[in-house]
Amino acid sequence: MHAPVLVLSDSLKRESGSKVHHGNIQASKAVADIIRTTLGPRSMLKMLLDAGGGIVVTNDGNAILRELDVAHPAAKSMIELSRTQDEEVGDGTTSVIVLAGEMLHVAEAFLEKNYHPTVICRAYIKALEDSIAVLDKIAMSIDINDRSQVLGLVKSCIGTKFTSQFGDLIADLAIDATTTVGVDLGQGLREVDIKKYIKVEKVPGGQFEDSEVLKGVMFNKDVVAPGKMKRKIVNPRIILLDCPLEYKKGENQTNAELVREEDWEVLLKLEEEYIENICVQILKFKPDLVITEKGLSDLACHYFSKAGVSAIRRLRKTDNNRIAKACGAVIVNRPDELQESDIGTGAGLFEVKKIGDDFFSFIVDCKEPKACTVLLRGPSKDFINEVERNLQDAMSVARNIIKNPKLVPGGGATELTVSATLKQKSATIEGIEKWPYEAAAIAFEAIPRTLAQNCGVNVIRTMTALQGKHANGENAWTGIDGNTGAIADMKESKIWDSYNVKAQTFKTAIEAACMLLRIDDIVSGIKKKQAPGSGPSKPTIETEGDADNEQILPD
Amino acid sequence: SISAQNPDISGDRQSGQDVRTQNVMACQAVSNIVKTSLGPVGLDKMLVDDIGDVTITNDGATILRMLEVEHPAAKVLVELAELQDREVGDGTTSVVIVAAELLKRANDLVRNKIHPTSIISGYRLAMRESCKYIEEKLVTKVEKLGKVPLINCAKTSMSSKLISGDSDFFANLVVEAVLSVKMTNQRGEIKYPIKGINILKAHGQSARDSYLLNGYALNTGRAAQGMPLRVSPAKIACLDFNLQKTKMQLGVQVVVNDPRELEKIRQREADMTKERIEKLLKAGANVILTTKGIDDMALKYFVEAGAIAVRRVRKEDMRHVAKATGATLVTTFADMEGEETFDPAHLGSADEVVEERIADDDVILIKGTKTSSAVSLILRGANDYMLDEMERALHDALCIVKRTLESNTVVAGGGAVESALSVYLEHLATTLGSREQLAIAEFADALLIIPKVLAVNAAKDATELVAKLRAYHHTAQTKADKKHYSSMGLDLVNGTIRNNLEAGVIEPAMSKVKIIQFATEAAITILRIDDMIKLVKDESQGEE
Repeated sequence: MHAPVLVLSDSLKRESGSKVHHGNIQASKAVADIIRTTLGPRSMLKMLLDAGGGIVVTNDGNAILRELDVAHPAAKSMIELSRTQDEEVGDGTTSVIVLAGEMLHVAEAFLEKNYHPTVICRAYIKALEDSIAVLDKIAMSIDINDRSQVLGLVKSCIGTKFTSQFGDLIADLAIDATTTVGVDLGQGLREVDIKKYIKVEKVPGGQFEDSEVLKGVMFNKDVVAPGKMKRKIVNPRIILLDCPLEYKKGENQTNAELVREEDWEVLLKLEEEYIENICVQILKFKPDLVITEKGLSDLACHYFSKAGVSAIRRLRKTDNNRIAKACGAVIVNRPDELQESDIGTGAGLFEVKKIGDDFFSFIVDCKEPKACTVLLRGPSKDFINEVERNLQDAMSVARNIIKNPKLVPGGGATELTVSATLKQKSATIEGIEKWPYEAAAIAFEAIPRTLAQNCGVNVIRTMTALQGKHANGENAWTGIDGNTGAIADMKESKIWDSYNVKAQTFKTAIEAACMLLRIDDIVSGIKKKQAPGSGPSKPTIETEGDADNEQILPD
Repeated sequence: SISAQNPDISGDRQSGQDVRTQNVMACQAVSNIVKTSLGPVGLDKMLVDDIGDVTITNDGATILRMLEVEHPAAKVLVELAELQDREVGDGTTSVVIVAAELLKRANDLVRNKIHPTSIISGYRLAMRESCKYIEEKLVTKVEKLGKVPLINCAKTSMSSKLISGDSDFFANLVVEAVLSVKMTNQRGEIKYPIKGINILKAHGQSARDSYLLNGYALNTGRAAQGMPLRVSPAKIACLDFNLQKTKMQLGVQVVVNDPRELEKIRQREADMTKERIEKLLKAGANVILTTKGIDDMALKYFVEAGAIAVRRVRKEDMRHVAKATGATLVTTFADMEGEETFDPAHLGSADEVVEERIADDDVILIKGTKTSSAVSLILRGANDYMLDEMERALHDALCIVKRTLESNTVVAGGGAVESALSVYLEHLATTLGSREQLAIAEFADALLIIPKVLAVNAAKDATELVAKLRAYHHTAQTKADKKHYSSMGLDLVNGTIRNNLEAGVIEPAMSKVKIIQFATEAAITILRIDDMIKLVKDESQGEE
């Protein structure tokens, strides 16, 4: 009778109802399956070829998922979880995905039985609350000043990584670096800013054991005039600049019209005088080392080398900030405003060393460095890249410990305890929420189960034995030793996890699972609305006639 | 003779019943899309755009905005949802559903040869009567609003959203936020400018770790590492210009004859900014916010003076900061005499300004602002999609709390108002002897769509529940001693009828009134259409 009424544009694809639920769960499980094998100490690495042909070899959950290009929106949402986990606590990126995948998987059975998703969500949220309560109960405080305890913890956290075969080295590096840059905020709070103050320099070559945390910083630069400038200075006086030491045009467009011949000379002379002037001002403070973020002209170089001052140019801003933190200097912009207090005297040694084919400057032996560089060595680039990822995880763990010195048992023991406690609790829950709640409890077992799978033991036998031990909420510290697959006391085997990481894993996984469960409609293919006025841009009018005109440079 | 020809229209033309049926069908389709997101057991939609960006939401207005609705009549409904969002902030889904239902029933009446204008006047009358009835009979005055009803309102608004599991927690947060921005304007009216509540999203932790921060948060760090982390008490200068080396606005050429002049120009460029900064510092400013950039050169002066400088602050944030601290947004230093001055009166003040680290970002917090207080809600959550949805849910809840505070009246939720009105209007219809009677009766029936959809979404027996509900309301309106039955509504978790006023499922009366008004107006607009002409795009002009 009537033509069909088109309300939505035909490019839209719409799916709804149980199909969506099913699709979302399938997609999430697929993501979880990808990285399942990277959990635990017997984990395997993944090799990824990115679009540019580069290779990434890693077992870091986040690093793997980051490279994946997935189409399903739910899968994308899962991948985001791993990123959140990485940014927030830096570890447990694999566990969070495995757990979220399992939470969705157990929910599927209920959806098939026509359970309402909101009921499942409510049960899950309740389970989350209770599981955090369990975590609080079994958490154990440690003393962050006791190095051996912290070391043990960091070691066990990164025990799953590729570098664990090299023993304590990575853990040592991580702890050294984080304690160096840790700042006491007062009131017992400590802040560790890994991003800003710890730099990881990767130099291929040498042995892995040569890696170290420098008491200061290093960077990939040489002095401006090798041979004329000193490459080794003990107790240097350092001046940091972020202005160019060369003649620079002003911001305004200035033209000089020269009528007389002598003016030309004056102009040139002025430029030279300008440089001489700033050099003199700098040299007044008798520095041994001048570092600038910008350029340094040959003339300035000449003045400096004549005065026996070493100079380094074109340093990165972030590096400059770190040097300032390490040696106590203030970065100066106008040389005529230099003060004695701006000069950094905290460093014990400046040295340029040749490693491989490159020259590296070291500013080390600082008195109280608040920034440091971790120098990583290793046989190949891929190797060092993976070591760096491990180190980042380890540093995050160390930071978590410094911020919240509590730990929980690893090796799946925490999950088993949570699972057992929740199972007990589920008996007291009234109404239909009881079943999803119990299912959530069972889902926690995914972590120890995956651990058992990855180390190749009889999964069913091990899991049953473990469940038996945990059944009455006792033996909170019994879990799987991921290397041997044997059931062990985590306290004795020193397999621990940071409280922050575990809590974050549970929270992220369950909340994300709830969010995905609540979706009953997917509409895809929506065109991004263009901002008004941003259509096809008007052709910029360029007249060739006024090519002489100075272009207006953007600032 | 002149044959009855169609006027020359370069396009399609439809008229009469065809057009009406089509419009109604289109509106029905729109309402069907959002229907399942209504109520405490409603579900969310996932919207994916062609780039692959995902939005997960339960908010009617957001869903409709994201969809590319093409049908012109359906567009009216989309705009309707947006209007409700602007005016009230919540109830966007309900308004669309009610409007679509009104239209459907009107169309049936027209098919039975009742003229649309009769229906329209009937609808108008019904709308007026219902608003009057709500205000006279159904509202509960909350003279002194304690926290409890406010929290309940917020909870009701949030119950359908992602954060329903933590609604207790968030309702408290929301109410506290709204109460803390309370201010009295010059006319003595009490206002709750919820724009003063800054919502910051940082992923990580869990939804429950969201918190309320006293002070306005700027999502940027301080410009240089050397600046102090904390300044107290703070004198804040809000600038809207560059603190970079001075540069002429246009590409002006400066031509000099003496090369020495060149050097002077360079010197001057740097000095001008320096002088400006000195003026700022001299006036006592120790926190400098600018919407534009600050040169590295300029930063050092601030570092030396122990001041915090923040560059590239969003203009919107800046306005809020200026308002809260009593500062004036300065666009230029130039005064009437052609000199450059900075008046210390332009400075705003706050108890302290600190830089804190939230998740992975540095945030500048302005605490204890002078004129009005500003608060920031820091939201935490599993990922960005979740945070976006949380923000939308909280926005709705904030609006609702604000409306409740401003109107001081609440009604019971869970379909109570709709059923009461339906019973009342049906009775009213029988007292009228005109054509409008039919329209009013249909209006009464149409309102029942809300409890029906609520029940259907919860997978309950809608017919039975609604019948029960109507029976209660009939008793309430006929028997004087059973008045309290008028707040009976649905309990969707257990599938029973309960007194929602006591159960704490309440909404501001204003929200309900607006829903009915807007929905009726929109339905009338579409109902009046009897001719639709779609013009073919003129090819000759289509090029531009």
